[in-house]
Amino acid sequence: MLARPRPLVIVILLALLAYAVALPFFGGPFALKFATRIMITGIFVISLDLLIGITGMVSFGHALYFGLGAYSLYFISPVSSAANAFFAIPFAILLAGAVAVVVGSVAVLTKGFYFIMVTLAFGQMGFSLFFDTKIAGGTDGAYINVRPVFSIGSQQLLSFSNRTVFFYFCLAALVLSYLFLLWLVRTPFGRVLQGIHHNEARMSALGFNTYAYKLASYVIAGAMAGFAGVLFAAIDGYVAPELLGWRESGLAIMMVVLGGAGTLYGPVLGAILYSIVEETLKSASELTAIFSLVMNTATAKWLGGIVANSWSMALGFFLIAAVLAAPKGIAGFIERFAGEAKRSKPREIKPSAERREREKAMLLEVENLSRAFGGLVAVNGVSVKFPPNKVHGIIGPNGAGKTTFINVLSGALKPSAGNIRLENDEIGGKKPYHVARRGLGRSYQRTNVILPFTARENCALAAQAQFPSPFRFNNKWRREAEDEAVENALKAAGIAPERADIRASNLSHGEQRQLEIAMLIASGAKLLLLDEPLAGMGPEETGRVTALLRELSADHTIVLIEHDMDAIFAAADTLTVLVEGKLLAHGTPEEIRNNKAVREAYLGEWGQEAKP
Amino acid sequence: MDLVLIQLLNGVQYGLLIFLAASGLTLVFGIMGVINLSHGSFYMLGAYGALTLTQFTGDIFLSLALGVPLAFVFGFIIEWLFIRHLYDRDHLQQVLLTFALILIFNEAQKILWGSYPHSVPVPGYLQGGIKISQFLSYPYYRVAVAAFCVALALAMMFVIQKTRIGRIIRAGESNREMVEALGIDSRLLFRFVFASGAALAATAGIVAAPLESVYPGIGEPVLIISFVVVVIGGIGSIKGAFVGAILIGVADALGKVYFPAFSSSVVYALMAAVLIARPGGLFGRAA
Repeated sequence: MLARPRPLVIVILLALLAYAVALPFFGGPFALKFATRIMITGIFVISLDLLIGITGMVSFGHALYFGLGAYSLYFISPVSSAANAFFAIPFAILLAGAVAVVVGSVAVLTKGFYFIMVTLAFGQMGFSLFFDTKIAGGTDGAYINVRPVFSIGSQQLLSFSNRTVFFYFCLAALVLSYLFLLWLVRTPFGRVLQGIHHNEARMSALGFNTYAYKLASYVIAGAMAGFAGVLFAAIDGYVAPELLGWRESGLAIMMVVLGGAGTLYGPVLGAILYSIVEETLKSASELTAIFSLVMNTATAKWLGGIVANSWSMALGFFLIAAVLAAPKGIAGFIERFAGEAKRSKPREIKPSAERREREKAMLLEVENLSRAFGGLVAVNGVSVKFPPNKVHGIIGPNGAGKTTFINVLSGALKPSAGNIRLENDEIGGKKPYHVARRGLGRSYQRTNVILPFTARENCALAAQAQFPSPFRFNNKWRREAEDEAVENALKAAGIAPERADIRASNLSHGEQRQLEIAMLIASGAKLLLLDEPLAGMGPEETGRVTALLRELSADHTIVLIEHDMDAIFAAADTLTVLVEGKLLAHGTPEEIRNNKAVREAYLGEWGQEAKP
Repeated sequence: MDLVLIQLLNGVQYGLLIFLAASGLTLVFGIMGVINLSHGSFYMLGAYGALTLTQFTGDIFLSLALGVPLAFVFGFIIEWLFIRHLYDRDHLQQVLLTFALILIFNEAQKILWGSYPHSVPVPGYLQGGIKISQFLSYPYYRVAVAAFCVALALAMMFVIQKTRIGRIIRAGESNREMVEALGIDSRLLFRFVFASGAALAATAGIVAAPLESVYPGIGEPVLIISFVVVVIGGIGSIKGAFVGAILIGVADALGKVYFPAFSSSVVYALMAAVLIARPGGLFGRAA
């Protein structure tokens, strides 16, 4: 999870801020305008970083909202007098946000490559709308004749036509935008966004409606870009349709990556660096000055002229070199020097009696369940009951349909026919997050935790999934209950306290599997669906996890697939045997061991060894 | 009515042309997992290449015969210089590097050919057109382009379905690691695929050159529309690219007739509709 900025980062940012505050006292009008533009671009690119670096959605159409924000100033400005910024700014934010809701609700359906393309296409759609039609000046662009002012009644508070005032306003807006996003990504809401970035399937299985979270992130980013856009329009009082186009979106991505995606401050540094490089490459005299440091003046002048003439080619090469040499951007360099982030200390938890009160484990009933893939019937008319507070094993040879079976139970696949009832609630065909919220939690064959999060953060993410309010920005609300759930889960899953604040990527394989179980417990799941929880474990770890499962069954129902026959016969209360998608037998381990059909169909290979 | 007919013919012909560009894009992404934003630049270089080559050869089809191998070699070199560094990197860096390539190609175009639009002549033997009604005729050159695109599409399907290289391509599309495990040098495969993609885009640019003027930035609308086609058709699917391209061509043409002010939005609306119904595209694997 994104940590608070390290001291080194804070020092750098404060130095830049001090420089910016002092700039109007020594910089000329050109420098001031240049810096104003960087500030506004900074707001635009950090809003994009919320999508790219935090939520993991590479949007190639973000300029759409920037451009819409800019055009909204044109829409709201009277022809020959100033618009009131008290209205213009909220209008821009609302317009960009509203369009982001519409576009996002389609675009967020897609992922990865598709998302990139779809956002690009929508951006171009916006561009052609302004380019081809006359709604706002068409190809020639739109002019805002008078800069906006903040006024109440006839009292003018501050005017954007004063360059210095406008500069300070943009600087303040950038600082506040940064602090806002920094706060946002560290709330439980932001934690979910980062979880989605690293493992969306897991987040969905935990009970988060990832579509809604991603859409929310998209809309917030769009609205912020609209805010940046309205300020941008006030720089020159001119808006061109190209502002919505894909080049602008591409440049914004450039700046995010150049600075370091996912750090929030990085993209601002990226915007600064990019603007300076571009300005330098355009200027023959500056290039000559730089080149003459290493060569004679005549050559430097000649080369400077050539480069400045084809500055965008030079910019292209610069960007390629930057991408290949420093994939983590400027922030990557800074973080290398800044050392490992300090994470906040966990608070002491006072156990409270009422919260301790255990909820009841759940009963799962499956009736005539089938799932077909085309002609192949992977699960075929299975009916079985899993009573609460027991450990239920599902066994069967490879290809018996075990994984399909639990994928259908958890909502990852829709059943072709049949019913699944969790405590008399039909959950068959419901979305995974819905099933998870009802109290059914699942783990995966391959270890599936959010690797950049610590064990505790992983559990916190799971714990917040159990409280129905989907978007939470307030850390305090229900926080104690969550913290307690996290501590209990870590303890119940046997994760040592000194390992709880280590990133999951640095935990051992066995610990990661325990962490998965801890996440399920923290999520408040009352029925745990585990896909080969013992896979890849040594005998000692197997023993520990088996004992853990027995303990957990005191207040959970546990259903697991397992290949380790000795372990599962020892741990399970009931066994369900699937063969070729059909239920072959269901009973206690003793009954299964003595079942003739099972012996014949399946046990042959190991039945001799595993004697009663 | 004649106008609608002409527009429909133009739409199908435009769709066929877009198919050439989009099929290259979908192959490069489907097999190599690389998002190539500079794909439109190959189209542009094809169009400008046609301009220069036709000045020497005097015939667009001779230029085609010369230009396609050149484009293939050019794609080969670009892959070796830049693209091969991208295979282990995420989408973001691919977007970035290929975006930077656009800046470079555009500037190169400006240095070599300048900023003014040019036109490429239609060969003398294809002047004129098929008479459709008293007032309207359909140019022979457009018919020839459409026929050429169809022939090329059929040839591609044959190569992909029936030949050894096609089998490797299909295998690589569904499981890249497995293909490597079987002992096929994926670096060579990738270089070949990328060069073919570049050659396809350039082919589209060459044959399109006499249809419209050749101007800076000519490749960018093609890039965007190819993306839309790939999204509609489903990534990696040549069949999807074909159906998507024709759909887009026809939608664009009819949009120009019925909603002239919003014609360019029609294709995006079509894309949105397809995505809502099938987020993985018409012929795509589930997204």
